[in-house]
Amino acid sequence: MRSRLPVLIAATAVASLVLAGCTSGGDPDTSSTPVAGGTLTYASGDAEPTCLDPHVGGNYPQALVSTQYLESLVSKDANGDIVPWLADSWQEGSDGLSWTFTLKDGVSFTDGTPFDATAVAANVAHLQDPATLSSTGYLALGKVTGVEAVDARTARFDLSEPDSALLESLSQPWLAMESPEALTRSQEVNCESPVGTGPFAVESWTKQQQVVLTRNDDYSSPPADAGHQGPAHLDEIVWRFIPDSASRYAALQAGQVDVIDNAQPDTLVAAAKDDSLDEIDAPRPGASNRIELNAGKAPFDDASVREAFIRGVDVDSGIDSLFFGTAKRSYSPLSSVEPLAFSDESLFDVDTDAANDLLDEAGWSTRDADGYRTKDGVRLAATFPVSTNQSIPAEQSLFEQVQAGAKDLGFDVTLEPLDLSSWYGALAANEYDLVSAPYTKVGPDVLRILYDSDGITPAPSGYFANLSQTSDPALDDLLTRASRTSDADERADLYQQAQQTILEGWHVLPLYDQQNHYLVRSAVQGVRALPTVQAPTMYDAYKTS
Amino acid sequence: MRPGRWRRAGRWLVGRLLGAVFVLWAVATLIFFAIRLVPGDPAEAILGGPGSQASAEALDSVRRQYGLDQPFFVQYLAQLGRLATGDLGTSYSLRTDVGRLLLDQLPGTIGLALLALVVAWSIAIVTAWWATLGGRIASAVSSGLEVVASAVPHFWLASLLILVFSTRLGLLPPVSTGTPAGLVLPVVTLAIPVAGFLGQVTRDSLLDAAATPFALSARARGEGPSGLFVRHLLRHAALPGLALSGWAFGSLLSGAVVVESVFARPGLGRTLLGAVTLRDIPLVTGVALVSALAYVVVVALGDLAERAVDPRGRAA
Repeated sequence: MRSRLPVLIAATAVASLVLAGCTSGGDPDTSSTPVAGGTLTYASGDAEPTCLDPHVGGNYPQALVSTQYLESLVSKDANGDIVPWLADSWQEGSDGLSWTFTLKDGVSFTDGTPFDATAVAANVAHLQDPATLSSTGYLALGKVTGVEAVDARTARFDLSEPDSALLESLSQPWLAMESPEALTRSQEVNCESPVGTGPFAVESWTKQQQVVLTRNDDYSSPPADAGHQGPAHLDEIVWRFIPDSASRYAALQAGQVDVIDNAQPDTLVAAAKDDSLDEIDAPRPGASNRIELNAGKAPFDDASVREAFIRGVDVDSGIDSLFFGTAKRSYSPLSSVEPLAFSDESLFDVDTDAANDLLDEAGWSTRDADGYRTKDGVRLAATFPVSTNQSIPAEQSLFEQVQAGAKDLGFDVTLEPLDLSSWYGALAANEYDLVSAPYTKVGPDVLRILYDSDGITPAPSGYFANLSQTSDPALDDLLTRASRTSDADERADLYQQAQQTILEGWHVLPLYDQQNHYLVRSAVQGVRALPTVQAPTMYDAYKTS
Repeated sequence: MRPGRWRRAGRWLVGRLLGAVFVLWAVATLIFFAIRLVPGDPAEAILGGPGSQASAEALDSVRRQYGLDQPFFVQYLAQLGRLATGDLGTSYSLRTDVGRLLLDQLPGTIGLALLALVVAWSIAIVTAWWATLGGRIASAVSSGLEVVASAVPHFWLASLLILVFSTRLGLLPPVSTGTPAGLVLPVVTLAIPVAGFLGQVTRDSLLDAAATPFALSARARGEGPSGLFVRHLLRHAALPGLALSGWAFGSLLSGAVVVESVFARPGLGRTLLGAVTLRDIPLVTGVALVSALAYVVVVALGDLAERAVDPRGRAA
């Protein structure tokens, strides 16, 4: 059985560090005691969720808001260690085919239903029911065959094969626990008022306007790394949707709202000069933002051409100037918040001479009238569909610089700005050579989703995750073994080898972490990003004036 | 003469109604086919947006549930049948009745657009009056302002107004609050480009009217400049502007897409933006149909107003 005390002590220490770090923009008033009461207004720049129950579908906008009213079995602290939340402790079975969770005592959902092992089983069944239409949660539970309520406080997960990512999967807000009583209502009703154990409860949802969340006065189940115990300080949260970045920031400056998300690089620079605003830089977990090179067809099926592109195009100066220093260059397939992320900066030194030599040797040695390289009369061309929904303006400009840099090498890169549906359509039709697709997930198992050759086979919807079309049996083997081992050191070693293989195979050009910046008025203290998927939590938050 | 007038009015009404039905059918058909030209799968849109990693079972059950497994043309006829009975269907993304959703959003947008139309007319008339009476310089300045105003894009104007009136001066809230103060910036943003356009048209015909013999004879009868403007010139000069009010209202509705997003106001425009992004076919169709209907009604009203102002229209 896992010992709890050291975890708790470490978690508390880390939490205080994180809280201090959160207020780096201003002068943290660490001596101030939390003030009870008040309404906090949050303005989200993400799309308004279509359903407040993150079991349904399962995307980031849902995670942002549901973190206030739903809780998961486990959480993650700032070190990247899994810590207790609704489960006090857990134990993997010796064959790796079962995990037993001991649940926190005395917790109830806000509708009065007790939180027990039956509730856990009901939630897993809800996620796995095709009628729920879950995609993120459903995928994360792929190896779970069922949950057995051994007794009221003991829930056993049965697996079809060992899953080293199970705890990380369960920490995600898309697998949070909801009242089994409330889940029996129709989906339409449950989408409007899901019921959890969280520090706040959904009071009302006026579509296109706001979600009102009120304090749960009986709250008793904070994650192990929380800043305090008992109910939240705030009375109420008004959760608004302000899609326009400039208006969102203007509303924050005017004091109309207290916290905003999706702060853009220019806003961050302006906010850094404003003493009344603090920044929380919380990169999302999972994959780094990267340009993937489609190895499934010419010209990037040739490793030398991939290497030439990656070593010949400078992205550093573009990242620096377009993001005003707010985004740090990444040299890893994984986000820097992943403890097992492996970086190799030496691979990405720009050397245009070497890149040109590589292209000459690969047979792209002639140039046409426009200065692009050719081989057997075919131009060295690459199509780059860009999702205007997912790539922020600074990133789209960066891609234009990449296009210009590649032109000097002799690549004819065509940027195609597309709306989300058309973008997925282009990918499904394999009409791309370069692509940048974010992927948020807790833990390094995201590598298996993105780079295992299984991921090249499209899902029924046409979607496939392995967009670099990396097909390497040795890599598949590493990823499979990593996903099954219960030995932490072996797991770390296997994932490092896997990342090395991906980087050295020139499949990706890492850019930076998936950017996620919050701005908070200094009059509000205690806001932090929950280290699982870095959604904000208002549990410890209070207003000083 | 009376029965003839009634017959003409009846014929006008029937023509309008038939026209409206045709417009609505055309909009429904166009949307139905256009949205299917966009790559991607509606079933996926229902399951949380494009790129969802939905399971095969989930996709199948959704296709059955929404009739997406039916042949294309059957879906189209079923859609028309539903629409004919007034059933706008269920939104894919919001999972609620489209009719109810639009009823909630309609008053906000129509109110915004009508208010902006009133403000636009007020600005246009004031500048036109100034241009007519204020001599050469006033005429040149107002004409320059009108050209600029009619060319400004909404998103730019909105950002500028927020920067000046909220961030710098702190006079007005940058995003809508549901209070009258929160309505000022969105209305002004929408009104200014339309005011520029209406102003240009109105001023031109005002200057024409001022040069006509009837203006001269009115002045000879002792009519002062203001009386001449209000009683004689405006009535004459407002005609082209009135005829354009229907068009102006349409442009206000489309401007609402931008304005509602920037000022975070709930409404039809913002609903449309979200629905298009999520490929929410029933919702896109619903918004388009309601906007088309509103447009048809306003054009008819503009037509009526024109007849009221201009006796020649009634005789013809």
